[in-house]
Amino acid sequence: MPQGKSEPAADRDRCVTGVEGLDSILSGGIPRGNTVLVTGSVGTGKTSLSVEFLIHGARTGENSLYISVTESSEKLIQNLVRYEYFEPRLVKEGRLIFIDLPLIYHRLGLEKMEFDSQDVTILTKVIVDLVREMRTKRLVIDSVTSVCYRLKEPEKIRQFILDLGTALSGLGCTTLLVSEISPSADRYSLFGVEEAIADGIVIMSNYERRGDLLRTLQVVKMRGTTHSRAKYVLDLTPVGVLLVPLLKGGSVTAG
Amino acid sequence: MARSLADQLLELPEGSAAWLRMRTEDYFDVVRAIFDVFAPKKTLDSIYVTCTLPAHSIQNALQVLEVPTDHIWFVDCISQIMMSTAERDEHTILVESPTMLENIMLKVDYLIRHSQRERTDLIVIDSINSLSIHNNMKILNEFLHILVNNLRSKNAYTLIFSMEEYENDEVRNIMNLVCDQMISAREA
Repeated sequence: MPQGKSEPAADRDRCVTGVEGLDSILSGGIPRGNTVLVTGSVGTGKTSLSVEFLIHGARTGENSLYISVTESSEKLIQNLVRYEYFEPRLVKEGRLIFIDLPLIYHRLGLEKMEFDSQDVTILTKVIVDLVREMRTKRLVIDSVTSVCYRLKEPEKIRQFILDLGTALSGLGCTTLLVSEISPSADRYSLFGVEEAIADGIVIMSNYERRGDLLRTLQVVKMRGTTHSRAKYVLDLTPVGVLLVPLLKGGSVTAG
Repeated sequence: MARSLADQLLELPEGSAAWLRMRTEDYFDVVRAIFDVFAPKKTLDSIYVTCTLPAHSIQNALQVLEVPTDHIWFVDCISQIMMSTAERDEHTILVESPTMLENIMLKVDYLIRHSQRERTDLIVIDSINSLSIHNNMKILNEFLHILVNNLRSKNAYTLIFSMEEYENDEVRNIMNLVCDQMISAREA
């Protein structure tokens, strides 16, 4: 994983997300190999955005893997049917794979509520091995917050994300770590560690304007590319996530 | 009048935005000119953004005028604020309120992506006067600027209704700024 050094935009190969507005915000897509924190409170569209990223990858020939921590994969796939861009053949052909992390915990005997350093190493190795064996180019862990709950200490969380990000970047895999925060949170991740290590941060939130509640998206950090830091309004539609700029004339101070 | 207005509309180049001025009493002639002559002749898919009346009222009016509605979709910004229990309709998308201007842009974008690619799109905004009741001029100006430029880049036609009786200088300034030309139904 790149450590803070920002390369010129032309130097990095892009992982096109397939969300047209987001690719435009990112000057062409996420720099390949980046580990990006997609953070926000419930109902802001984090999972929809992440799944669209994977489906687009699978459709363009990149093996894509979704590791579900909280919601069962079966339920998630059922919900995907309403999206026009989802093709069930991608799952059948093994181009788009869904794995439930609790099943991995069970097989590894990691069912305890708190992991020690050795457990963290094992978990990281298992995920990296999966990515290597499946030749995965796009990975989503939804949510990394649920994993972090078992790591408890900031040092273990740091070790997990840093080791995972470094290994996945080395394999050319672009990763989205879905992070849950409360609507009133004054930071981008629950433990405050994830945001410092990730290459990029995409915040999804609810923005209230004179009683109207708008879903918004903002890229606050993305190593390896120039990008817009403005806020955009999004809509979750059957053709995918759509984005338009947040109108600034509507701010409270502007009347 | 409908025929003459339709002829003027047929002269519009693709991707143009027109300010369509009318008196309230001209409304039905304008609707007939657009949806019975202009849109079918140009083979357009129409998106009608209604900020004045609920979509079902417009649909009823079109039925009375015997205008086919197969290629007309509605973005209805009124039904929800009126708390009306409108029936679900495949050709209508609801926006919670005419103040949610970004959502209007998003729904129009969605309908354009959803429409048949071989057909050009026509977007009708009904009306600038109603939008100006619900929004301040600064945000309305910004909204129309982004929307019209976006539609222009997609080669879509934009028609923005304005009722002469309810116009003011601010509305006229905005329309002069964002539209390529003004068409007066009264003079058609």
